[in-house]
Amino acid sequence: MKIIVDRARCEGHGLCEDVAPDLFSLDDDGELVVAHEGDELPEQSETAARAAVSSCPVAALRATP
Amino acid sequence: MRSSVSGLEHAPTPTYDEDLYRRAALLDPYPHYARLRALGPVVRLPRHRAFAVSRHAECKQVLLDDETFRSGAGVAMNPVINRMSRGTTLNSDGKEHQDRRDLVAHRLTPRALRAMEEVVDEKAAAVVDAALSRRHVDAVDDLARALPVAVVPDLVGWPLEGRDQLLRWAAATFDVLGPANRRAVRAVPAALAMTRFTKRVSRTRTLLPDSMGADLLRAVDEGRIGPSECPALLIDYVAPSLDTTISAISSAVRLLAEHRDQWALLKDDPSLVKAAVNEVVRFTSPIRAFSRRVHGNGVTLAGTPLPAGSRVLVLYASANRDERVFPSPDTFDITRDTSQQLGFGHGAHGCAGQGLARMETAAILRQLLAKVERIELRGTPTWGLNNVVRTHSSVPVELVPAASAAPDTRREP
Repeated sequence: MKIIVDRARCEGHGLCEDVAPDLFSLDDDGELVVAHEGDELPEQSETAARAAVSSCPVAALRATP
Repeated sequence: MRSSVSGLEHAPTPTYDEDLYRRAALLDPYPHYARLRALGPVVRLPRHRAFAVSRHAECKQVLLDDETFRSGAGVAMNPVINRMSRGTTLNSDGKEHQDRRDLVAHRLTPRALRAMEEVVDEKAAAVVDAALSRRHVDAVDDLARALPVAVVPDLVGWPLEGRDQLLRWAAATFDVLGPANRRAVRAVPAALAMTRFTKRVSRTRTLLPDSMGADLLRAVDEGRIGPSECPALLIDYVAPSLDTTISAISSAVRLLAEHRDQWALLKDDPSLVKAAVNEVVRFTSPIRAFSRRVHGNGVTLAGTPLPAGSRVLVLYASANRDERVFPSPDTFDITRDTSQQLGFGHGAHGCAGQGLARMETAAILRQLLAKVERIELRGTPTWGLNNVVRTHSSVPVELVPAASAAPDTRREP
């Protein structure tokens, strides 16, 4: 499973960071930093990643199978 | 999602024959929502010539499928306003919507809002100090209204002369989004007055500098939008930013007065404020519902065929009390997982101002936590009546000052 961020849509609300702080964080400029972005996620992170994708209020996150 | 559940394809669509917009239902909508959720994922509303979507999964599915469930033909429950409100961000789809949203999104991202945090905190401190000095206050007038009214018009660059009407106008722009009931019809003159005002300030360019409004004027000058688009977009920025946040703040105060245990949790750990704000929004759902129109050849939602042109009422307030997603949904619990709440909508049309709304509500709560020992209800809270926004008209409270914040009146002689 991979996480894909639509950067044009991401507005930096940071809800993914609340749900999955190990995978998502906002840097000092408020820019979203995603661990393993575009790479295969470790299996133990998949549940958290799915929850984060689902929490994004502007649907800027996607998970590929 | 549930849409693919087979075997339901030919089941008749349940019908709910109540008027969701009559006075009693506006004042106490939750029993209606519970019955709708129990009836099925999609329920026919003959009174409103629409289909109700009341469960969380299908609400979210509709909100994420902008291709099928269009906003461009309006999100109101009456055709007159749906025709009139073309040109707003709310009533548009696809690239047109994204372009309009991009005009302002850069001012509303949490990143941009960081620059405002200090000002919002200062204003929240002034609001809470003034309320505390009077001790007995109305949480609606004295806490909830004061902050958005102090913050939003400046952000939008609204001229000073037009501010005294703002709350009335903004409430009217929500009322007209209901069905064509008496409440909507009565709100039309105020909604039109707001339109006239925004037309005038767009023409005379009297919007304050360095604001969202000034950005719009620049976009007109640079040919990115037509001058005729400016008035509708101005309404778009102001109208949704007042009563909604007022609803959240006044509900927060009421709920924390009623739930001492939750107040105590926050007192012990103010870092829970962010979670508390999300739970307030879930529990209150300041915007009850908007509708969308089925585009193309029709669609099957949760086994229910919806013909092209059908209007679908997306009940955020019901989704937020869906027992399938939120255990004990009618319990106010700031420690629950609220990440799935739909109070700000979801997807491409998700509330653009949610960062600001969260910031304002959190700022008031942090000030209260720092300066108030406890909040006591001193009367029965009353709900206001509006076709779309659920908000209190009055929440009488006593703010009992924290020992450190109390005026020093007991000095030893």
